[in-house]
Amino acid sequence: MFSQLLQMPLFWATLTIAAFIIGQHLYRLLGNSAFLPPILTGIILVSAVLEATGVPFETYMEGGQYLHLMLGPVVVMLAVPLYQFIHAMKKEWLRISLAITLGSGTTVGLAVILADIWIGDLAVTATMATKSVTTPVAVTLSEQLGGISALASAFVIITGVFGALIIPPLLKTARMDSPAAMGLSLGVCAHAVGTSRAIELGTQQAAYSAMAMTLTATLHALALPWLV
Amino acid sequence: MTGLLILLLFLVAGNLIQAQFTLPVPGSIIGMLLLLFFLVLRGRTPSSLTDISKTLSPLLPLFIIPVSVGIVTQKALLEENGVALLVILAVSLIPGALVCAFIMNWKRKS
Repeated sequence: MFSQLLQMPLFWATLTIAAFIIGQHLYRLLGNSAFLPPILTGIILVSAVLEATGVPFETYMEGGQYLHLMLGPVVVMLAVPLYQFIHAMKKEWLRISLAITLGSGTTVGLAVILADIWIGDLAVTATMATKSVTTPVAVTLSEQLGGISALASAFVIITGVFGALIIPPLLKTARMDSPAAMGLSLGVCAHAVGTSRAIELGTQQAAYSAMAMTLTATLHALALPWLV
Repeated sequence: MTGLLILLLFLVAGNLIQAQFTLPVPGSIIGMLLLLFFLVLRGRTPSSLTDISKTLSPLLPLFIIPVSVGIVTQKALLEENGVALLVILAVSLIPGALVCAFIMNWKRKS
């Protein structure tokens, strides 16, 4: 009976939802700490079950694909916040555009160069290029770039957790921790995880972070396919 | 539900355009730009889109879990390069964040 269960696509879809809900509860339990986003818990739990049962990823995906299917509409949905941010950034559009373009270019450029020198695997380097893009876009984009979508997701989440950890003390030490600078850096370098950290720091930081995250994702999604 | 239909229609349009012109940009991104263009032309966000956005946004991480679990297929790569990848991800953040913050603070009046 157990082995039949493990072959059932519905079981894997159900397990994924359960893992996500556990992740959400754990996140709340830890006071919405940016360091354990629900998605990370969800991935770890589902991966652990796959490892323990020895079920191949392909079998899992027969159920997982039903949730995966929603990624498309969710990416299209980014137009809604983007439209609001375009209004909000009118006042400082040049400064914000420069900060986003150069800031994200620096971090991604450096990561790509280091990966190329150090690891030298084309697929890994292509995946590295999507590291500063919010996860749904990174996953979609990495497939297009000849990268590995599962790896893209891992890079993005790890960057997010690192960024939430490193950026606030870094900018404080450098005395560049105005709400706009802090929010924008978190959004550009640490996207969604950075934004949840920015929410803890203040509403202004949160607004800048969410805007920077959306704009960076759009910019990279449009530019990277032509550059890689 | 109208909001979801709008999203799906724009997604289908984006995918069609991507396939027709074999563009390197993903269809969903083209769909997003089309929707953005539509919103700019319209001058405001229809309430159906605001509603679906409120419904789907909290679920976003859930939709990403399946593809992310694919990390179990990358064990060999991670065993070999895991540490290097972590170092690259951490190190590359620092100049990026500083450049961003510098531009945001540069000659700022207030």
